Amino acid sequence: MARNRAYITSVGLTKIGDHWESSLLDLAVEAARKALKGAPKLKPQQIFVGNMFSSMAASQEHLGALVANALGLEGIPAFKVEAACSSGGSAFNVAYSLVKAGAIDSALVVGVEKMRDMEGDSVSKALCMAESAEWTQFVGATFAALNALLARYYMEQMNVTRDELSSIPVIDHANGVNAEHAQFRKAITPDVVARSAMIADPLRLFDCAPTGDGAAAVLLVNDKAASGPKRNLVEVLAGRVTTAVFSLYQRKDMLRFTATEEAFKQAMKDAGLSPAKLDFAEVHDAFSVTGALSLEAMGFSKRGMGSKDAAHGKYNLNSDLSINTFGGLKARGHPVGGTGVYEISEAFLQLTDQAGKNQVKDADYGVTQNVGGVDTTSAVHVFGRAA
Amino acid sequence: MAIQHWRIRDRYYRLIGSKCTECGAEFFPPVYKCKRCGSEKIEDSEMPRTGKIMTHTELHEPMPGFEDQAPFHLAVIELTNGARVLSQIVDSPGDTVKTGAKVRAVVRRVRVDGESGQILYGYKFIVD
Ligand SMILES: [Zn+2]
Repeated sequence: MARNRAYITSVGLTKIGDHWESSLLDLAVEAARKALKGAPKLKPQQIFVGNMFSSMAASQEHLGALVANALGLEGIPAFKVEAACSSGGSAFNVAYSLVKAGAIDSALVVGVEKMRDMEGDSVSKALCMAESAEWTQFVGATFAALNALLARYYMEQMNVTRDELSSIPVIDHANGVNAEHAQFRKAITPDVVARSAMIADPLRLFDCAPTGDGAAAVLLVNDKAASGPKRNLVEVLAGRVTTAVFSLYQRKDMLRFTATEEAFKQAMKDAGLSPAKLDFAEVHDAFSVTGALSLEAMGFSKRGMGSKDAAHGKYNLNSDLSINTFGGLKARGHPVGGTGVYEISEAFLQLTDQAGKNQVKDADYGVTQNVGGVDTTSAVHVFGRAA
Repeated sequence: MAIQHWRIRDRYYRLIGSKCTECGAEFFPPVYKCKRCGSEKIEDSEMPRTGKIMTHTELHEPMPGFEDQAPFHLAVIELTNGARVLSQIVDSPGDTVKTGAKVRAVVRRVRVDGESGQILYGYKFIVD
């Protein structure tokens, strides 16, 4: 079967942070309008909204139709896609799969989360819905607690030190300094991480991605809809979503992120690309330890070496493989359902030379990894410059 | 939460999990399909009440409803039959909560349900 090609024509981002004056819908519309401007004559055939907990944060569901209406696009099919923190990447994957299969010519994907309208403890309750309520919320565990259990296991099994564990947040913050849409634009040292407030031992505040509001949008088209030169487009070379054993602690090997392993392996195969060709990776580092295990799952680092490699400069901006080029979840921010679409938008900016001071030199290929739960769902997409 | 809790009280009080009648593998929490052999022939089974800590944390920012207990210890426990439980570790000096420590299940008050005021009970573990 002749396969369609899928391209991103344009993206739209809001800055991540405290948007006290904007609603969930305001943010979604702002990002969507910016993306739609990239192809003024195009009317997307479907809309997919990635979002995790609008019901808790804004007492609002039915986001597909809500966003379609706000954009004056009522009439077309529109859906919310929910897969915890990988809602954004998963929403994009549905749209991509439909374009690729020839079912639709174009789609608008919006990832949005409004976290600041909630009290802090409601946010932790909402995030914990990514894990099994009956066995996790019941014992009082937060999502950070689960990652802390994982972090200790990782440090003890792999002899990872406190400062090594901090190395990925340090890279994130270094890259966030020049990222206009980032929540935090301040460099940090391992010392800053080690002295920050204890959340769940051994994880401290600076091991954890912040909460914030934000929306990102991308416009996805096939060959037919992408009339004209493709010079400023980015091709989606592959995209896969996989799931793992639901609860972290039920996995045979807690230190293997099998959802990411599989999604990455399949996507690279689909793309016909060797991992060595990748110039950058946007990695889902909701916690310092998940960043390290994600790098290991994609084979960039050997097992146990994710944090250590990062500490030794393997993943800095303009190393062979740059990671989290706009700050990752830790510094760019992590408006959960929006995060995957931010990552994809950042890949677009890199591959169209619009990354400014964050530009990875001669970037031709990049990968994004967006995870829900503790690598329970993983959405991996591979991008290249459009020929 | 209270009704949900009532429905699965046996599992919370007595650690009732699953046993695969094909291959004998045991699981907690219960499963619908055997994670070892794939069989759907599953029956309820009471778990052993002892095991050891695989990994642990001291949680300072707990879930809503658990504030008065914080900070408290949480651990992944491997029971003697190989099943794994996520649980609080209580009534044990902090320096005894460590990887490899032997632990035993007890029934304790979990929390008071916010709306009904109902007291919910369930498993916790202590270092032996
Ligand atoms: Zn079996």
